[in-house]
Amino acid sequence: MTRTIPYLRRTIQAFSFCFLLYLILRTAFPLELKIPVDLYLRLDPFIGIITILTKKDVILRMLPGFGVLLLVFVFGNFFCGWFCPMGGTIDFFDRILFREKKRAKSFNDQSLRRLRYGVFIFSLAAGLMAFQVMYLLDPISLITRTLVISFYPPVIYTFNNLLPQVQNFLPKNPFIMSAIPMPLFKVNLLIFLFFIIILALGVVRKRFWCRYLCPLGTLFSIFSRFRILKRFVTEDCTHCQDCVKGCPVGAIPEEAPESYRQQDCIACFKCLECPPEAVSFHLGPPEWKTVNGVDLSRRYVLGSLSFGIVSALVIKANPLQSESGLRNNRLIRPPGSLPEEKFVSVCTGCGECLKVCPNNALQSTLLEAGLAGLYTPRLVARIGYCEEFCNFCGTVCPTEAIRPLPIEEKRLVQIGVAHIDKTRCIAWDTDKICLVCNEQCSYQAIVGDEKKRPIIKEEKCTGCGICENKCPVDGEAAIIVYSSGVQKKLKPEPNNSQDKQQIPTTK
Amino acid sequence: MDHSPNKKITRRQFIRGAATVIAVPHLLSGETFFYGSLAHAAGEADLIIAKNGSPSQLLEAAMVPLGGMGRFVKKGQRVVIKANIAWARTPEQACTNNPELLSALIKMCYEAGAKRVAVWDHTCDNYQFTFSRSGLKEAAQKAGADIFSGHGRNVYKQVEVPKGKKLKTAEVLKDVLESDVFINFPLPKHHFATELTLGLKNLIGIVWDMEQLHKIDLHQCIADINTLRRPDLVVMDAIRILTTNGPKGPGKTEDIGEVIASTDIVAADAYAATFFKHPKTGKPFKPAEIKFVKNAYELGLGEIDLSRIRVKKVNAT
Repeated sequence: MTRTIPYLRRTIQAFSFCFLLYLILRTAFPLELKIPVDLYLRLDPFIGIITILTKKDVILRMLPGFGVLLLVFVFGNFFCGWFCPMGGTIDFFDRILFREKKRAKSFNDQSLRRLRYGVFIFSLAAGLMAFQVMYLLDPISLITRTLVISFYPPVIYTFNNLLPQVQNFLPKNPFIMSAIPMPLFKVNLLIFLFFIIILALGVVRKRFWCRYLCPLGTLFSIFSRFRILKRFVTEDCTHCQDCVKGCPVGAIPEEAPESYRQQDCIACFKCLECPPEAVSFHLGPPEWKTVNGVDLSRRYVLGSLSFGIVSALVIKANPLQSESGLRNNRLIRPPGSLPEEKFVSVCTGCGECLKVCPNNALQSTLLEAGLAGLYTPRLVARIGYCEEFCNFCGTVCPTEAIRPLPIEEKRLVQIGVAHIDKTRCIAWDTDKICLVCNEQCSYQAIVGDEKKRPIIKEEKCTGCGICENKCPVDGEAAIIVYSSGVQKKLKPEPNNSQDKQQIPTTK
Repeated sequence: MDHSPNKKITRRQFIRGAATVIAVPHLLSGETFFYGSLAHAAGEADLIIAKNGSPSQLLEAAMVPLGGMGRFVKKGQRVVIKANIAWARTPEQACTNNPELLSALIKMCYEAGAKRVAVWDHTCDNYQFTFSRSGLKEAAQKAGADIFSGHGRNVYKQVEVPKGKKLKTAEVLKDVLESDVFINFPLPKHHFATELTLGLKNLIGIVWDMEQLHKIDLHQCIADINTLRRPDLVVMDAIRILTTNGPKGPGKTEDIGEVIASTDIVAADAYAATFFKHPKTGKPFKPAEIKFVKNAYELGLGEIDLSRIRVKKVNAT
């Protein structure tokens, strides 16, 4: 039995990772999956707590995370060891890349173990001041973002390039399959590098990230002290150090293997493989006491706290974040987004909306929204436009930073207004008939004058960006959508009574 | 006779697949290749206007004087229908084809012995939304056809446009060029830039970088594209037409209740143009007032003057 547990755990980890992949792949049109596609993010209590604190409002979608938190009181950090797709990935790469021999033999990691609490306090302090460093480090948001932005496009690229080969292989077959429009994200390399660094840290220690940095793990650790499923060691223990070496998170101290740090244990049950069979897990009374814990001195806590506050203040005191007109006017948020300041503090940058956007219109920001808005979504109309009858980004947003508006309401949210550059516009600059923008506009916000040159009716323009997207001018479009600062709802156009009529021919 | 390179490919492919057609050897004598003047002899009229009836009745009535679908679709052939599914609009808004009519058209092709019917369009809005909102994906698939959108560049082929005046090369849908039978299935709509969208303009939806054509000369490009492959059959869906805010709508619609079938695309367009009123004069459009129709006529793609071809009006019920 004890021998099968590692296999069982690996299987569950693999399954959990594949399930996340599946959910990400299904985060696409027609979005009809019964399970919420952002399930993992909703199960993340760290995001839940932070977003509810920053939004100052209950986010129903994030409540399942608190259920997970309750389970921690029983099983400890079981989520990290069994279900976390990031932890699973790290375990996998630790296993295939770094043999135990390569790692440093032993070093006192007392100060490193303190680091995660420092990072946690820092990010909490900074986070409540609206600098979302904690979202960058949250493992669920991180892995979703990495998979969507860095790994999904190469998959599509490979598919599109293999497709003609397969089709050539079947010469006379009328089998037709279109290539999938290639998703493009500007920040893919940066996010990829960050991910690689996390995996590479495994060379120092197994699960380096989980032990010393992960804020979700830290949150679990705090509650995990009170766990009731506990490890017990009988007097048969021979101090053979097998469990010390085997423990993937180093929760068993070398000098006292009969004890353990319950707050670090991820309940992988690897230590059950004990030669004298001295180890067992069963329920016991919760206790705060632990061995060889971290020394969180007052100085350390206050230091992390003030560092968080100061860095958040510095980042906030930036023209891009100020209320003045210095804000980036090409920063167009998805329809239904919360007001900018709140948006950057609630959006976790998970990339779900980027994945679901049918036109690849949403892009991750780098510094366009300032450092506080790192990896938040923005509409880049030249890459894709906002589809009129789509409200998917709001539907999948786990923290409701993009509110889930019904389609009829979303259609009329003005996210920006288009402006024509008459010096570059084909119709204005030459006498050719173009009017692609007029023909594409869903809202009749672009009309033509008597010489068939486009004119914009700002009161009807929603800023969806289809005009900018389809404008045939090379490079930058001759019609450009600028953010209108605050999103507002436009008046619905008078209904054409005939639209509702049946086609009269079905007699 | 036509010696453009794509025509040659069509023929070669046709011969390659001859085993399936061998049952009807007389077909290979030439008639199927040279639609155009030779084919005219097969029906009792060249432009049929069917009125009064359900979509399928209208289509059936319109096809009879042309010689029936069997004249165009032979057993085992691959049919491509170029529909107008450009926009994410509902069928009632008349910005996309009538789903019932599409369904009837597909069924007719299968009844005539088609091996496969494919419905194509390079949509302007996202294809998933256009296909589902227009109801055409459901209609096509229920009738047994494949429906494709040209959103991937791999389904296009770069070709020369030897007869094109302004457009010299274009990337067009492979399937349209290579299929045995090509049916153009447009619906007449208002269009601000070109006045109207008709059958000739419908062919813009086989081009990869359609927006670029606006940079060259839209009217001439429409005519030029039509020289690449002339449709074997034009079925014009004038059951309900869009008269304002075209081509995307929503706008005012008008129930004409007609289906027009023809072998001559310019003639079909010339007729359909008269449904609409000229914005300045308020009188119905004269065919020659639509520049791309005139350009197509000048390229010899068909007859603009309806008095010079055989027109027949039929009652479907």
